[in-house]
Amino acid sequence: MSTYTTGRRPPGTTGTPPAPRRTTPRSPREHTRATVRQRLTAGGFMAPAVLLVTLFLLAPFVWTVYRSFFSDTRTAPFSWFENYSLFASDPALSRSIQNTLMWVVGTVALPFVLGLAIACMTNSGRFSRLARLCVVLPYALSGSAVAVVWNFMLTTDGAVNQVLTGVGLDSLAQGWLLTWPGNTVVMIVANAWQATGVAVILFLVGLQSIPPETLEAGSLDGASGWQQFRHIVLPQLRPVSIIVIGMSLVNGLKSFDLIWVLTQGGPGRATETLAVSMYNETFLELRPGAGAAIAVVLTVIVLAASWLYLRRQLDVKGV
Amino acid sequence: MSASGRTRRAAVPLARRRFLAGVAAGAAALTAGGCARGTSTSAQPGTTSISNDNATWDDGYRAAGHELKKITGYALRPLSNPSVTSYQQVVQMTLQTSKASDLVKWASGYQLKRLARAGGLTDLSPVWQRYAAKGWVRGTSREAVSYRGKAYGIPLYESYYVLFYSKPVFAKLGLSAPSSWDGLLHCAEVLKRNKVTPFLASQVGGWPAIEWFQELVSKVDPHFYQRLVAGQASYTDAPARQAMDIWHDFMRKGWMTSPDFDQARGPGALKEGTVGMFLHGTWQASGMSAAGMEPGTEYGAFILPTVRAATPKSVIAESGVFVVPGRASSHDAAMANVAAWLDPSVQRVWSDFLQDSSANPKVRSSNPVVAGLQRDVARNHRLALVRYWESGPPSLIQGNTNDLGGFMAGQTSPATTLRRMQERAGDEWAAWKRDEA
Repeated sequence: MSTYTTGRRPPGTTGTPPAPRRTTPRSPREHTRATVRQRLTAGGFMAPAVLLVTLFLLAPFVWTVYRSFFSDTRTAPFSWFENYSLFASDPALSRSIQNTLMWVVGTVALPFVLGLAIACMTNSGRFSRLARLCVVLPYALSGSAVAVVWNFMLTTDGAVNQVLTGVGLDSLAQGWLLTWPGNTVVMIVANAWQATGVAVILFLVGLQSIPPETLEAGSLDGASGWQQFRHIVLPQLRPVSIIVIGMSLVNGLKSFDLIWVLTQGGPGRATETLAVSMYNETFLELRPGAGAAIAVVLTVIVLAASWLYLRRQLDVKGV
Repeated sequence: MSASGRTRRAAVPLARRRFLAGVAAGAAALTAGGCARGTSTSAQPGTTSISNDNATWDDGYRAAGHELKKITGYALRPLSNPSVTSYQQVVQMTLQTSKASDLVKWASGYQLKRLARAGGLTDLSPVWQRYAAKGWVRGTSREAVSYRGKAYGIPLYESYYVLFYSKPVFAKLGLSAPSSWDGLLHCAEVLKRNKVTPFLASQVGGWPAIEWFQELVSKVDPHFYQRLVAGQASYTDAPARQAMDIWHDFMRKGWMTSPDFDQARGPGALKEGTVGMFLHGTWQASGMSAAGMEPGTEYGAFILPTVRAATPKSVIAESGVFVVPGRASSHDAAMANVAAWLDPSVQRVWSDFLQDSSANPKVRSSNPVVAGLQRDVARNHRLALVRYWESGPPSLIQGNTNDLGGFMAGQTSPATTLRRMQERAGDEWAAWKRDEA
């Protein structure tokens, strides 16, 4: 936000102390009035955002935390941590936590490794643009559309099994979405198919911002291709890697749409993640207290994971 | 420097203020528009809005509404939300607001009891009494639409759970609709031998997982089924175990489709001859027609035979209902329309559209297959049993449905599945009764 002291600098003076706009000294009263006005102006600009965040984010969150301490009977009495104890007693929620962890690992590792590999391979070359387009295209699809396509492939009488049967590999044909943990794994793969596109874009931006002189210097020093990648390229991709991993981490923890369309968390709640369990408990099993407890736990995990990760990775400049 | 002597720079803050004022005005207008009452559920002369979760029925509502208008002066204006899950949420939320539809399609049984318990529904007992006096409703249906003695729903349709089959496929293999358990097993064996999957079984979408459970338990012992869904018998009792063992045996023999087979493909699969029998509600008859199959010549239907010949005959019945929100936009018009809904002239059109049996027992289905089933139910005095989905507290049914889905996918054994269902039944019935007390 521009202010009188920082916002009206002439071009080319960045980093130098701001030139005073007024030559005549202000009286203390004038100064106080100006300060108050500045603060009011700043507050006025911030107010809509603060109000919206408070209304639509903080207030519902506080309400959710409050609701999680009440039971789901009709009179909804205060029940302390009864809803949270479901994590220990309900096997569906234990499985949900397992699945969420699998999703986090899968959605971080696969898009990162594949994205980096594809970006490096398509950064230059004859058909690089076409290859890049093919990889990035799924990112433009919605999660639901991706799920519909993969559903067509993964059902027992779907495309994958038909191809396997067609080439004589009948023994490999199976109900891909029916047995755990295979069903969670194939959904993670489907998610990676879509999510790799954005990782590729980010890594390409990172690769193109690497000064070629550094690579030339490495080459002159006799570094091999792998050594150049390991010691020159990879360190310079660190800022982009932080973003890719951070995004993937949060995406993994909140994964919902693909699972909902493909299996609705089933069969028998076997493919639920915490986000799906939260929806299932609240809206299908009609236990808003249990759903609120899951939401709180999920929020704490997302915040803790993001904070722990970003605290280690970001320095004071933000990179 | 401009002609007026002001610097161009001096004009910038003004432009920014104008811009910000414009943005603020636009945001205010959008907010006001967003808060304004939508037109979809507001009162519209000569019509009553009806919320429903099956968009393919919209034409049927319009056609029935045309007949209703001749009687009441109000047509039907369907508002569809095809996702059952989101539909339920939207209805439950809007019932507490002034945006409630005039009529709402809902399930009977405990689904309706839960909605009535939350308040916001109109007592339709007087309407029910008038219908009963004319013989336009079955007295046995009243319990399924009542809560604490008051009727809150008027039957929208009545469907039976039956096995549809392809007549050409059966004829080609020398089979006919079985009338006994042994006959059913023979059909399945012959179909399987000819590379046709005998039965369609699915858990796609969740609720279809109940179909084979309710059917097999009721055909082992219908009275046990009644006690089971009333919370008076245990899921681990012998009849339930026997039913699950039969189901498990069918799956092991490869007599059932994979559980991720989508039921929407059922009519097509029957027509192609890849599936032999399709267990579903008779409301599926319209889906058969949509797949280009003629009733009576290309497809038939029968009620699953009892496991033992001496077992009393029964049929699983499903009845959707209309409810009238207390805060309906056109409450009087809605009451007029529910009071005329079961009129034979309206039901004739509605039943013809659905190709299903009407909730008015005096209206015969024009679909020969469904009409034959109606005759079967009447001739054999089949005990009408409430569908499992509506038979108990919704949290219990939802949880048990998930367990049945897991069983179908081979995650749990019959014994483990039943044990889990019983544990949940104990908890949920206790919670329901505690709430009622």
